[in-house]
Amino acid sequence: MSLMTLIPALLAALVAGALPREAKTKHRLGFAFIAFFLIASIGWLAPSAPEVPVAADAPKPAEWPYLLDVLIALPILGGLFVLFLPRQMPSLLRGFTYTIFALSFAASLMLLAVPMTAGWHFQHIVPWIDAAGIRWHVATDGMSVWLIVLTTFTTPIAAFASFGSLKIRQKELCAAFLLLQGAMIGAFVALDLFVFYVFWELMLVPMFLMIGIWGGTDKIKASVKFFLFTMTGSVLMLGAMLYLVWTHHELTNQWSFDYLALSRVVLPDTQLPFAMSPQFLCWLAFSLAFFIKVPMWPFHTWLPDAHVQAPTGGSVVLAAVMLKLGTYGYLRFSMGLFPFRSAILAGNLGAFAVIGGILYGALCAWKQDDIKKLVAYSSVAHLGFVMLGLFGATPSGIQGSILQMVNHGLATGALFLLVGVLYDRRHTREVSEFGGIAKVMPVYTVLFVIVTMASIGVPGTNGFVGEFMVIAGTFASRRLAQFGAIEAVGAAFGVILAAIYMLAMVQKVFFGKLSNPKNQQLKDITPREALAIAPLVILIFVIGFFPSLFLDRMRPAVEMYQAQFVKVYTNTQDTPVAARLLPRDMFAPSFLVGSPDDDVSASTVAVAAATPPATPSIPAAIEARAPAMAAPPRGEPAKRPGDPRPSRSDAIRSPVRMVPGSVGGVK
Amino acid sequence: MKDAVVALAPILIVALGGLALMMSEAFGSPKKSGPASDLALGSFIVFLAGAIVAGSLWMVGPEQLSGVALVAPWLIVDRFTLFFDIVLCIGAALTSLMAGGYLPEHRLDRGEFFPLLVFSTVGAMVLAASGDLLSLFIGLETMSIGVYAMVGFRRGSLRSTEASVKYFLLGSFAAALLLYGGALIYGITGQTDLASIGAAVKSGLGGRQTDFGMLLVAMVLVIAGLAFKVSAVPFHMWTPDAYEGAPTPVTSYMAVAVKSAAFAMMLRVLLGIFGDETSMSWGTGWPPILAALALLTMTVANLVAGRQESVKRMLAYSSIAHAGYLLVGVVAMIKPGTDAQASVLFYLLSYTVSTAGAFAALILCGSRTREAVSFEDLAGLGKRHPAAAFALSFFLLSLAGMPPTVGFFAKLYIARAGIGAGLNVLTVLLLLNSVIAAYYYLRVMVFMYMRDPAPGAPVALPMRSGYIVAAIAFSAALVLLLGLWPTTSLKLALDSVLAVR
Repeated sequence: MSLMTLIPALLAALVAGALPREAKTKHRLGFAFIAFFLIASIGWLAPSAPEVPVAADAPKPAEWPYLLDVLIALPILGGLFVLFLPRQMPSLLRGFTYTIFALSFAASLMLLAVPMTAGWHFQHIVPWIDAAGIRWHVATDGMSVWLIVLTTFTTPIAAFASFGSLKIRQKELCAAFLLLQGAMIGAFVALDLFVFYVFWELMLVPMFLMIGIWGGTDKIKASVKFFLFTMTGSVLMLGAMLYLVWTHHELTNQWSFDYLALSRVVLPDTQLPFAMSPQFLCWLAFSLAFFIKVPMWPFHTWLPDAHVQAPTGGSVVLAAVMLKLGTYGYLRFSMGLFPFRSAILAGNLGAFAVIGGILYGALCAWKQDDIKKLVAYSSVAHLGFVMLGLFGATPSGIQGSILQMVNHGLATGALFLLVGVLYDRRHTREVSEFGGIAKVMPVYTVLFVIVTMASIGVPGTNGFVGEFMVIAGTFASRRLAQFGAIEAVGAAFGVILAAIYMLAMVQKVFFGKLSNPKNQQLKDITPREALAIAPLVILIFVIGFFPSLFLDRMRPAVEMYQAQFVKVYTNTQDTPVAARLLPRDMFAPSFLVGSPDDDVSASTVAVAAATPPATPSIPAAIEARAPAMAAPPRGEPAKRPGDPRPSRSDAIRSPVRMVPGSVGGVK
Repeated sequence: MKDAVVALAPILIVALGGLALMMSEAFGSPKKSGPASDLALGSFIVFLAGAIVAGSLWMVGPEQLSGVALVAPWLIVDRFTLFFDIVLCIGAALTSLMAGGYLPEHRLDRGEFFPLLVFSTVGAMVLAASGDLLSLFIGLETMSIGVYAMVGFRRGSLRSTEASVKYFLLGSFAAALLLYGGALIYGITGQTDLASIGAAVKSGLGGRQTDFGMLLVAMVLVIAGLAFKVSAVPFHMWTPDAYEGAPTPVTSYMAVAVKSAAFAMMLRVLLGIFGDETSMSWGTGWPPILAALALLTMTVANLVAGRQESVKRMLAYSSIAHAGYLLVGVVAMIKPGTDAQASVLFYLLSYTVSTAGAFAALILCGSRTREAVSFEDLAGLGKRHPAAAFALSFFLLSLAGMPPTVGFFAKLYIARAGIGAGLNVLTVLLLLNSVIAAYYYLRVMVFMYMRDPAPGAPVALPMRSGYIVAAIAFSAALVLLLGLWPTTSLKLALDSVLAVR
């Protein structure tokens, strides 16, 4: 055993020993674990050898197809199981919840163990409701993998922090957190629109209960507002989904809710930016659902209410993960299903993101007296950055956006936790109630300032990397056309405003004279509270210093997605009067793996993907002419009829199994 | 003769079961605890047997039975009829379970309830099967008279009596409208069975212009009568009062079985008589009338439901709103090739189990003198009795259309049919209406979980009854199973549709 492998253990011991004397043993162990885990995982994630380009026909490392199912089912079933545990034993409830969370987190780390090449990973397809063409189709790729890990990482922290301050009805709290996590992961990995919608709606209920039961004085109004705002967007999305499904059915005579199949449908449209064309309306319905969730101006009004009323844990989950579903949904579904609309409206939307999101959110935040409300409005501003990167649709902009989603989750999550600490002590969050508390709470102040810096985007913290990439991408974006430069300037100005409102608040709360006598006796942060915040603070620096650990895993997927977005947009610019189906070769082959019409033409894709064009032409011609071409090629096991999942070996290695008329997949 | 018995087996089983229950009630040894518990179990078994027999006939296929031709055209035994037999028997079975718990608790333990319930269900089954205006009317009245009596079952209560009288008067009025429409149709075509009338209408009535005018009048009268029965706005005025005044199991029965039977009748009449091109066209037929009814029904009912103070009344308005969603599916039938009709059938099944479950949970939440009537009564129930609160929330979420319950899938299916028929605006309005509906369903949850009762205010005290729990468990299982694996039941609905044109 070399010294290098001992470093994590040594560091862990060091951290555990360095804690102040009053820390409990379990908290010491917790810190030691975090330190150990951190160093070990950086070493594990960092590329040890120079990267060898993976040949396209190299066998892929084994991916356990049920992993995503487990990630979804474990918390949901756990949440239902909690309901049957006795409420008189809160420690059992908490222990059970932590166990489920730990298992989920460990399982989500397995996602990082495979090289994240472009295309779907851990894909799992099971027929579900045949009559309606609905399949259980889950998969992850470089764009969603970090969001899944973010979910499994922050939800336990939120739960841990909640158990500290909410002592009533912990049983329901455990169930709500577990159900929430399962539903959120489900929405991140669903590739069937029906499955996506199910999880999208499912996560509303636990969050509604969380705000409504454990919230502040105005909790009922806030929770109902949250529910109704989100649901309005989502039912409109459902209508657009059904329209898309019907159009697909009319074109192919096949029912499917599958994202991959529906990506090929081009709805009728016109060149006018705001014409009432089907594509515009469907795009609008989808995007509205996501804009409400993000939230983008002018649909953001539910967010400050929900955040202020929600308990700390609820706010953390809401800000860290749930809002990301809006941005992720826009990236995956609005841009994926309606590239033409997303592209031609990008300039206008970018202006919305800059003016309504970044600048307006920042100005609102500046004026807030309530710290939590300030953080809530700062979320509006930060998510404006994320949306701007997506609208610009450049590879670096999208990567920056995804990284910024994670960053916002960490920094804002940490801010909410820190505000919660203060609220637990004083039961107020008014800025004017505080002042000079750095004198009584030094450790707390250090942590708060670090997180503030991350939130502003100071170099060395994660916020800098994300915001820089987004602004750079905006500047270079062709989608934003002549607006790109001006929007980049506006966004950069937003960073300055962020510094103003955050630092002004920090200055008023922490520095100056300790004027309010109620603050004289404030206790500094306890080890338990620090334990919740420590992982977030550490990750702020990890992402700040080693962003490539994170960017490397998303780059292939983002680049493929962006290239495809541009290609489809360029090819649909003629704005058809009637709906049509794009040929399969418009899409990257690895993108269409697992789409429902794969059974007939998977082999076509495989040929295009894996074999150099010259060699297979003769066997292909022979095989295609042969009437018995349905027979599997030599050496290949016969594929079960009705097996929806083309085996990977099939898709990669098989020679030609061409079905006449299925070339290009057009029917 | 023997063949006819086989073909009519579901109806006959339920009818004979009803006679047996009546006999056992009359000659059985009187017990101290009252007759309800035994009779409830008996009628549950009768209905379950009816549903199972109907289901097995469905599997065998009515076209295999030679007796079908003997009873046609008065009673038509096809998959459509058998599907509705199943739905009606499930609804009635859940009602009898609820009654088994509710009647003793509320000191209404009198045996005649169950024969009334059984014979009313026989009427509903006849109604769903009828292929002739006469048998249709007989079925309708058999069903209704039983329900009139059951609504007024709380004789001591003024509200119950008022509800019964109101329902009786308006129900008779609706029946008269239907009858008058039927008489006009008979006058034009000289036929009473739906198939012959449909053929005559299709062949153009011999080209007599006056008859077309009269046919339109008849159509409007029939639709008005049907709209009364399904309680579509603006013919809904009786519904909230009748639903609120009736004993809760009867409310559930009216919301579930009576409405399903009325929709069966509506589909039969609209497709049987007015199923020709002209009548089903957007310009000259019933679609605009029904679309307007659907829009009004959904919107008005949902808006009014949000303002209610009584949970039962809110559920009454919610059931009106669901009739509106169903009407959207009915309008979507105008485009051939969509599965609009199947979506209506599936929605009825889903609505039956969700609504019956919601009423059963509402019964469970209250007890005698401490009933769960208003929202305030439910305040803090999530703390006092988590199981009852959870059950009620579960069914309300299904009614609101939240996944993964069956209510979501049914609504999705109706919306899909609507989009497929080109009713984009109507479908989007349906979906937006479900957001309004979510508000008042959530309100119940808000009171149960997020509010504490005002000090000194009366609160509902959950009752204890194995019957109610059984009803809840039965419907909860169906809500979840049909929601997660709807394939089988969807196929059931798809294969049960009436032939169009």
